[in-house]
Amino acid sequence: MKNNMGAIKKKLNILWAVAVVTYKEWSAYRTHSMVSILVGPIYFIVQYFIWTAAYGGKTQLNGMDLTQMITYFGASTLIGYLTMDFADWNLQMLIRTGRFLTFALRPIHHRFFAFSQKVGHRVLGLVFEFIPCYIIFTLLFKVSLVPTHIGWTILSVMLAFLMNFYIHYILGMTAFWFTQSTGIRRVFDLLSGVFSGVFIPLVFFPQALQKILFFLPFPYMSYVPVMVFTGDFALAGIQMDIPVIVGIQGLAVCITILISEVVYRASMRRFNGVGA
Amino acid sequence: MKDKRLKYKGLRMRRYLNVYKECIKVAFASASTYRLNFILNCTIMLLGDIIFPLITVLIYGSGAGFEGWSVYEVLLIQSIFTMSTAIADMTFHGVMWVTMDMVRNGNMEMVLILPIDTMFILMARTFSFEGIGLFIGGLTVFVVAIINVSVPSILMWIQFIAYFIIGVLVMMGIALVMAAISFKWVGNSRIPEIFSNIRNFGKYPQSIFPKAIVVITSIIIPVAMIAFYPAAALLGRGNSSMFIMIIPCFLFLLFGIYLYRHMVRLYQGVGG
Repeated sequence: MKNNMGAIKKKLNILWAVAVVTYKEWSAYRTHSMVSILVGPIYFIVQYFIWTAAYGGKTQLNGMDLTQMITYFGASTLIGYLTMDFADWNLQMLIRTGRFLTFALRPIHHRFFAFSQKVGHRVLGLVFEFIPCYIIFTLLFKVSLVPTHIGWTILSVMLAFLMNFYIHYILGMTAFWFTQSTGIRRVFDLLSGVFSGVFIPLVFFPQALQKILFFLPFPYMSYVPVMVFTGDFALAGIQMDIPVIVGIQGLAVCITILISEVVYRASMRRFNGVGA
Repeated sequence: MKDKRLKYKGLRMRRYLNVYKECIKVAFASASTYRLNFILNCTIMLLGDIIFPLITVLIYGSGAGFEGWSVYEVLLIQSIFTMSTAIADMTFHGVMWVTMDMVRNGNMEMVLILPIDTMFILMARTFSFEGIGLFIGGLTVFVVAIINVSVPSILMWIQFIAYFIIGVLVMMGIALVMAAISFKWVGNSRIPEIFSNIRNFGKYPQSIFPKAIVVITSIIIPVAMIAFYPAAALLGRGNSSMFIMIIPCFLFLLFGIYLYRHMVRLYQGVGG
């Protein structure tokens, strides 16, 4: 028991140290994050006018009214700042350049190191992206961005955070087989953009496709936390209570973690390195 | 004296063309080496092109739409935008990424010491075949859309081609402005996101935006010329005032070239 506590404490210390270093490293490129103060609102303005024009005189489209739609895109943009991930890019770069070897020799699992980096990076995102954009959306665009169930929303965003990380890490590991995996990453980015509901709410897709989406990782990366934020989840004509869908999201994350472990072990069996 | 100058210019032009030809060969060799990656990138661009208009189809499919614009007319705008992006990706978009990378790594000197125009060589070196997939996808949607709208006259086609070329030049202006900014905001890989979002205004009928935004998208950063004006010409929705919109487009391109060259002059490096 004492040993377990010691191991957890050690892990938390490592996580803290790596996250702080990552935060400081990326803080040197402050404008990188602060650009989001422009990116988010510009994207939002485009969506605002598109959907205002699309609704015309209609009160509802696929069960969503215009206010809900605007809130959806506002929440989607903000949650995107908290869950965004590029572990795949980092990992494939390390593999391609041979620098992964130095990580393979360290007494720390690379995945945990990458996760700690993400924590630091997204804390920076919270400070320089999420908070300023939240203020802009609320004060300038008058969008009500208060979650209906704050506790469930935080939990769902945390699960989406994990989902994004593990999925991208699995994608990064494809570089053990293909060396240059930018193509695979782009395929995934496109699919996730569409099927995670970033471009359009999933209820606009045909019913059959919506049913299939339940079994894919995409909705759990963005659509679920956004809908939990709005306090009303529906997909494929199925209305679900918030705790139920967050539970399903948790299950999806657990399955993804297992897949990640299996792929990691297969990758290590394949990995060859010289020098270091 | 005049003959000598002309001869020199001719030789210079030929040399530049030869350099460009060699760069295309290198791009082809690179694509052949990483075949799977190349095929996937082409496919993804093709798929991406199909999926983006799909969103428009989904909006119209849900019973909504943009007043005064049929689904095929909107698809026409978006397909023109895609083809323009494909040409930009193949020919000059790389200048932004490579400039950003070189400024960050401090090896811009390696290009500056070459006896050739910096802007040209960076564009040539980043020539990429991967945009082919995107172009084919855009062309496919374009053909589907054009079949379903009223048949354009020859004059409309001429207008369309002229506006389309000018739209590509606007894209070039945007790429150069982004590249120039990367000299100042070192390592900021999110610069393209700002312009990508601004370009999004050009993917839709301008009538859905307020006048203030239309002024910005037509005069200040003329992204409306990338797809909306060419499509309007093809649909017979053009008017004489559209010709005036050509002026800000050229000015924007010249501004991009000037800004990029100015930032290259200001660039200070050590070593090399």
